[in-house]
Order: sequence, then structure tokens, then C-alpha cells
Amino acid sequence: MRTGDYKQTYGELVALIDSPPVWLWSTVLLLALIAAPFVLNSYALSFVMIILITVTGALGLNILTGYTGLISLGHVGFLVTGAYAYAVLVSKYHMPPLVGFLGAGLVPALASLIVGAPSLRLKGLYLAITTLAFSFIINTVILEMRWLTNGARGIQVQRPQIFGISFDSDAAFTYLCLAIAALTLFATLNIRRSRVGRAFVAIRDNDTAARVMGINLHAYKLFAFVTSAFITGIAGALYGIYLSFVSVEGFPFLLSIEALAILIVGGLGSALGAVLGTVLIVLLPEATRIVFSLFSAQMDTTFTTGAQELKSMLYGLVIILFLRFQPRGLVGAWHDIKRTWVHWPLRY
Amino acid sequence: MQYLIQLLISGLAIGAIYGLIAMGFAVIYKSTGLVNFAQGEMTMITAYIAWTISTTVSGNVFVVAVGAILAAVLLGLVIERLVMRPMLGEPVFATVMVTIGLAVILRSAINFIWDAYPHGLDIGMGRGIVHLGGIGVRTGQIAVIVTLLALLAAIWAFFRYSKVGVAMRAVAADDRTALLMGISATKVHALAWAASSVIAGIGGVFFALSYDLSPAMFQLGLKAFPATILGGLDAVLGSGLGGLLIGITENLAGGYLGSGMKEVAGFAMIIVVLMIRPFGIFGERDIERV
Repeated sequence: MRTGDYKQTYGELVALIDSPPVWLWSTVLLLALIAAPFVLNSYALSFVMIILITVTGALGLNILTGYTGLISLGHVGFLVTGAYAYAVLVSKYHMPPLVGFLGAGLVPALASLIVGAPSLRLKGLYLAITTLAFSFIINTVILEMRWLTNGARGIQVQRPQIFGISFDSDAAFTYLCLAIAALTLFATLNIRRSRVGRAFVAIRDNDTAARVMGINLHAYKLFAFVTSAFITGIAGALYGIYLSFVSVEGFPFLLSIEALAILIVGGLGSALGAVLGTVLIVLLPEATRIVFSLFSAQMDTTFTTGAQELKSMLYGLVIILFLRFQPRGLVGAWHDIKRTWVHWPLRY
Repeated sequence: MQYLIQLLISGLAIGAIYGLIAMGFAVIYKSTGLVNFAQGEMTMITAYIAWTISTTVSGNVFVVAVGAILAAVLLGLVIERLVMRPMLGEPVFATVMVTIGLAVILRSAINFIWDAYPHGLDIGMGRGIVHLGGIGVRTGQIAVIVTLLALLAAIWAFFRYSKVGVAMRAVAADDRTALLMGISATKVHALAWAASSVIAGIGGVFFALSYDLSPAMFQLGLKAFPATILGGLDAVLGSGLGGLLIGITENLAGGYLGSGMKEVAGFAMIIVVLMIRPFGIFGERDIERV
């Protein structure tokens, strides 16, 4: 008798959905998200929107940090570049929103090419350093290029209208975010199971071995970086539309840390992890606030006055605790639970 | 000409502060192989503690100096013991991410413990102006440059002649062999964190003396970063000198090209340095190009 989960062909191994329960859960999740705007109030719906936008950005970073194993501390730079590219194209030059989204992907991709080409030749933490530098330089560049970006005054952004469909209402905008997040999810999952994705993972696991196997390290690292910047830029455009106002202050450095926290909490190198991590990290401050307010009203006020500080403290704490006690993240924990469930009462 | 000299001197003064913090980076990198992204925050905490001592206990220079140094040592040891030591043997990626998490926590903790308003550290000196050949220089600026030079000499002697310094170099060169020789790597790491915290903390206190304490001070760490890269991540003395270079470059860029350039000059330099000489001016050439 066969026990356990066997894969007998290569096709089975790389299949996106490999079992009926996963089909079921994916469908349930999709239906729930489609029903969300009708059921939830606008406060809860704003969290759904934020989660969908953040998932897009986190999946973008996941290609770089999760698959290829390169740290970027400056992804907020691509986020803000994407948001500005969209805002300038659509609000200032009145281009159609689809062109805006394309620009929001291409401009950060171009920027990443400039940053990545010199720094990706080196091994180790150097990309973290240059991207950190990039995220500060880009803010100054945006503030200095007043003729294009209005400097510190920022740019107003309207909700878009694509193919005659207006995405003005919250419900419609949620669907737009859902569509883009779902597309990104499929795109990253497909990258992961293609030749390119396997090259990324090979570079992450052992770059010397990858080189020996004939993978052009510089080209593939650069490709991962550019793809990651493209997706992050689109998430930035969505975030700009959500805020309805694009300015340098809207994209604080904390967002870079938040993105890394999402990947670590979820589990590096897994699209499911990016999704789980996003849900946890986005809802964590709110959940903590609710728990604290149960204890006393005074704690509730502390939470409102020091919201930003508490939020970043939580992120820091979550990063450290997960790295220390559950380095494989929520996905790792889920795998452990699954294995215990399947094999119980045997150990393995 | 007057303008240029003025720029150079204030560049040297701020550069000396960057240099001190950059040495903090380098000390930790040299002995543990880690880039400590919480360096700026540690600097800031020491400066805030110095300010608290000066307002609550005594404004005497020596009391503040001794108190700040002790606090910095304690801070370094506590962080090493509680946060970094459990991560020993984990991949570099995880450990570096821990320092990033630590940075975020420390930064918000400062906003909680102290407030978000700027404060001046006043210990009765450092703000007076001395005239050197017609150019006004603050005594605090002279003091920080002198301190940097003195510390550079002291650290050079420490690594060259003292037994502990040699042990630290041994751990940096090859920790396994060092362990076989009977050197305790954990002690060396603890010492490195304490030393780094003190050196950077001195820079932070001088910054508070010449400018102001504010929650934005953690950016000093980011500004000092280019100095470490320029001098060489594993070169403690080089990082100190790199700080001076970055300070001057920044001030010249700010003085002649506009204030926006001042903010990014250091970062622009990082990218140039990484392209031309990624191991820095004084660093050892062991960067792998894979």
C-alpha cells in the first residue's frame, strides 16, 4: 500500500495546484474575496484593499529575496518610483490608466537596472547597501525634479477608469486590486516553476554550483531584480491610487522593513508565505490594538497616540522572534502541522 | 577661499562624527562578520542617555562622559547577550535581518522613553567659538576631530600590541583556528559589541553637543555607512578616515551644488566605490565576484 504524497511525473511536481483540498480552499478564498465588498463595512474593506496591494508588493520582493536570496533594503524606492510614474503619466499628462500602470512598472524596472548592474556583480550584502542608498537618493531626486513631480507638494491621483469601467467606488477598486494581486500571484508562481525560477533558486542555494551548471549569475540576478522592481512599482501605483495622493512622505522607509518582515514571517521563498505573512503583518497592529483596548481604555489612547511607534516596534519584534524561533515562517509551521497530521501517531 | 576653508572645517567636524560611527560598524564587522544595521540607533540611545544624565544628575563634563561610556558598554553587552548570541551559527541573512529588526525596535523605543522634540545637550562647553586665522570654529568641532585622531591612534595600538586586540584579529581572520588556540569567540564578540557601542556613542554625544538631539538622529548611522564602505568594512582605522572624507565631500557638495546634493553625496559615493573598489580604500581584497 502506498502511503504519503508521491509525485511520479515532472508535470505533477511543478503543478500549481496538486490536490483537491487546495483547489477547494483557493476557490473558497476567491469567492470570499469577491463577496467581501458586499459584506464588509468600509473600514474592514480598507484592510482588504491594503492586504491585496501589499501582497502584490510582497510578491515582488519575494522574487528577489525569497527566490534569489538577495536582500533589498530599498524596495520602498521602487514603490515610490512606481507611484510617481503613474501619477505623473495619468494625472499630469492625462494618459490612459493602463499606460500609467505600464509606466509604473517600467520606470522602476529601469531604475533597478541602473542600481543593479554595478552592485549585483558582488556577493553578499552589497545589494542591501546600494538599495538602501537608492531609496534615499530617489527621494531627493523626486523632491528636486519639481517641474515633473511638484516636489514636496505631491500629486493628486484619481481612481482610474479602464475600458469604460469606473473603479471609483471602494468595491470596484477592491476588484481592481484583487485582479492585479491574483495576476501577480500567478505570474510569480509560474516564474518559480519555469527554467528561470529554478535558476533563481539555484543561485540562492549555492551560487558557485549554479555558475558551474551554466547559469549566468549576473544576468539572472539582474533579471530577478528588474522583475521584482517592476512588480513592486505596480504595487506602488496601486498604493498611490489608494492614498489618492502621491508624495514622498506617503512612502516612509518603514515600508521596506515591513516588506521584509512579511517575507520572514510568511516564510522566505514561498508565494503562499508572502500571502500569509501579508495578512498577519497588516492585521497585526489592528489586532494588537483591539487586544490592548480590551484591557483598558487608557491603553487604547496610548495606542492611538503612539500608533506609528508601536507598529514599527511590533514589526521589529516579529522579525526577531520569527528568525529566532520559526525561521521557516508560517509556511514552515504549516508544513510541520501537515506532516504531523498525516503521519500521526508515527513521528514520520 | 574663506568659504572653502569654512566648508572644509565643518566637513572635517561632521566627518569625524561619521568616522567614529563608521569605526563602530567596522569593529563589529571585523570580529563577527556582520553589518550592524542598528548602529545609528545605538549611537542615538547613548546620546540620549548622556542628555538625561546632564539634565537630571549633573552637567559636569566628566560625570556625563563616564556615565555615557558606561551606559554604552552596558547597551552593547545587553544587545550582544540577549539578541545576537542566540543567533550565533545562523545564516548571515538571518542575523543581519535581526539587526534590522533591532534597529526598528530601538528607534521606536526612543520615541517612547524620551519625546519626539529636539533637545540641546548642554554641558557648559563645546559651543564657544575660537578664531583660527579669521575663521570661527566651535570648540566642540575641534574636540571631536581631536577625539577621533586620539581614538584612531589608541585603536591602532590596541590591535597591534594588546593581547585582547590580537585575539580579536585572530577571531576575525579565522574563528575556528582562534577557537582551537583557546580564544573564546563569544567573549570577543561581546567585547566587540561593547567597544563598537562606545566608539559610536562618543560620536553621538559629540553630535548632540554640536547640533541637537532628535529622533531623526538614527540617520547618522545611514550617513556613516558610506564612510565604512569607503574606508573598508573590515578596516577600523580606514573607516575613521573614510568618515572624514565623506564629511568633506558632503559639505563641498552641499556648499557648491545645493543642499539636496548634501543629503545624497555620501550615498552616491557608495555606489561609485562599490563599482570601482568594492572592498574600500583600506579594506582587504576578499570580495567574491561570483
